[in-house]
Amino acid sequence: MRRTLLDRILAPSGLRILFQPIFKVYGTTLTLHSLECLARGPKDTNIEPASVLFEYVRRKREEVLVDRVCVGAVMREASKLPGEPPLSINVHASTLGRDHRFTDFIVESAASFGISISRLTVEIVEHVTFSDGFVFLNAIEEMRRAGIKIALDDIGLGQSNYRMALYCKPDYFKVDSYFVKGSHNDVYRRGILESVLHLAQKFTANVVVEGVETVEDLATVTELGIDLVQGFLFAPPMPTDELGSSHLLSGHTGLEVSSEQLAFL
Amino acid sequence: MKDPLLTSRRILVVDDERPILFALRDYFSLKGLIVDCAEEMEEAQALLANVSYSLVIVDMRLTGFGGVEGLEVVGFVKDRCPQTRVIVWTASESSAVKREVHRRGVDRYIQKPAPLADVARAAFELLGAPAYA
Repeated sequence: MRRTLLDRILAPSGLRILFQPIFKVYGTTLTLHSLECLARGPKDTNIEPASVLFEYVRRKREEVLVDRVCVGAVMREASKLPGEPPLSINVHASTLGRDHRFTDFIVESAASFGISISRLTVEIVEHVTFSDGFVFLNAIEEMRRAGIKIALDDIGLGQSNYRMALYCKPDYFKVDSYFVKGSHNDVYRRGILESVLHLAQKFTANVVVEGVETVEDLATVTELGIDLVQGFLFAPPMPTDELGSSHLLSGHTGLEVSSEQLAFL
Repeated sequence: MKDPLLTSRRILVVDDERPILFALRDYFSLKGLIVDCAEEMEEAQALLANVSYSLVIVDMRLTGFGGVEGLEVVGFVKDRCPQTRVIVWTASESSAVKREVHRRGVDRYIQKPAPLADVARAAFELLGAPAYA
């Protein structure tokens, strides 16, 4: 029988894991806050980009299976990194709503690779309304009890809305690059960023902005009071060996905002 | 020879027969088109949700069990990417399928077996490069 793309995803090393650093801005210095763990599909296939990969997985209705494979692959790769950087792992809300044992699976996977649970944040992503609110809420509760932090990804897009914020009471609100890119000269985007920050403060949560690619946008978000930043301006998603051999995981990242960039801050 | 009207335009070919995918990819690439190929319905839909195509050429029977997965692809294109043109190229002889395909607004329906030249002619017409027809 012919192998489908799903078979290729599920094959050993079918998924590649990349890590993109999230930095905390202190004045003009950046320190590593955590690593977002990103999956890429099998090489040289249509589903290599994450957006196509997960659209395919959702259309196959195989989020649970693939999210489990992703968690396993993340733990395996993260265990090869030096130090103990905090890790942020993407999981579909529908997986948490369907898989009663998903939290146990995360805990067991982390333990088998010697990764402390306190390093983990689960980033909840969703594109459709999940079916079982009770199972989902239970999963959130279990993760909290286990010591896993919760982030709500893509706040303001799709099903990642106020209702989801109430369900999750996240530790982090993540803002998609759509609202960040060009915010320096867009009063409406800045308005949205401010409102997310205000909302996060009410939840005693932090805001992470994705897609920071210019010093102007960096200056805008830091001026607003957002200090957790992620984007190509600082570091792209990197494979384990490249990240491991870089200076980014050492105590001091070596990254500083330059004097030229200071003019904006 | 590459036609400037075609260069950089992107098409998607959806078929579970790899020789057909290879043949169409080779042929249309030589004309300057960017050609993506998909064997599964969900793969095609995932691409269509993320990439803009000028034209989709789709078989009715794809990797799956129903035998009319191509209809789902046609429906997806017509709902989500109404500017994308669609050619159905199929061995199905069901008149019900044919009626349904036309009801969904497909631009051309070509019965297999048919020479590649027929598919190419229909494609170039729909892409506004009839010189190749």
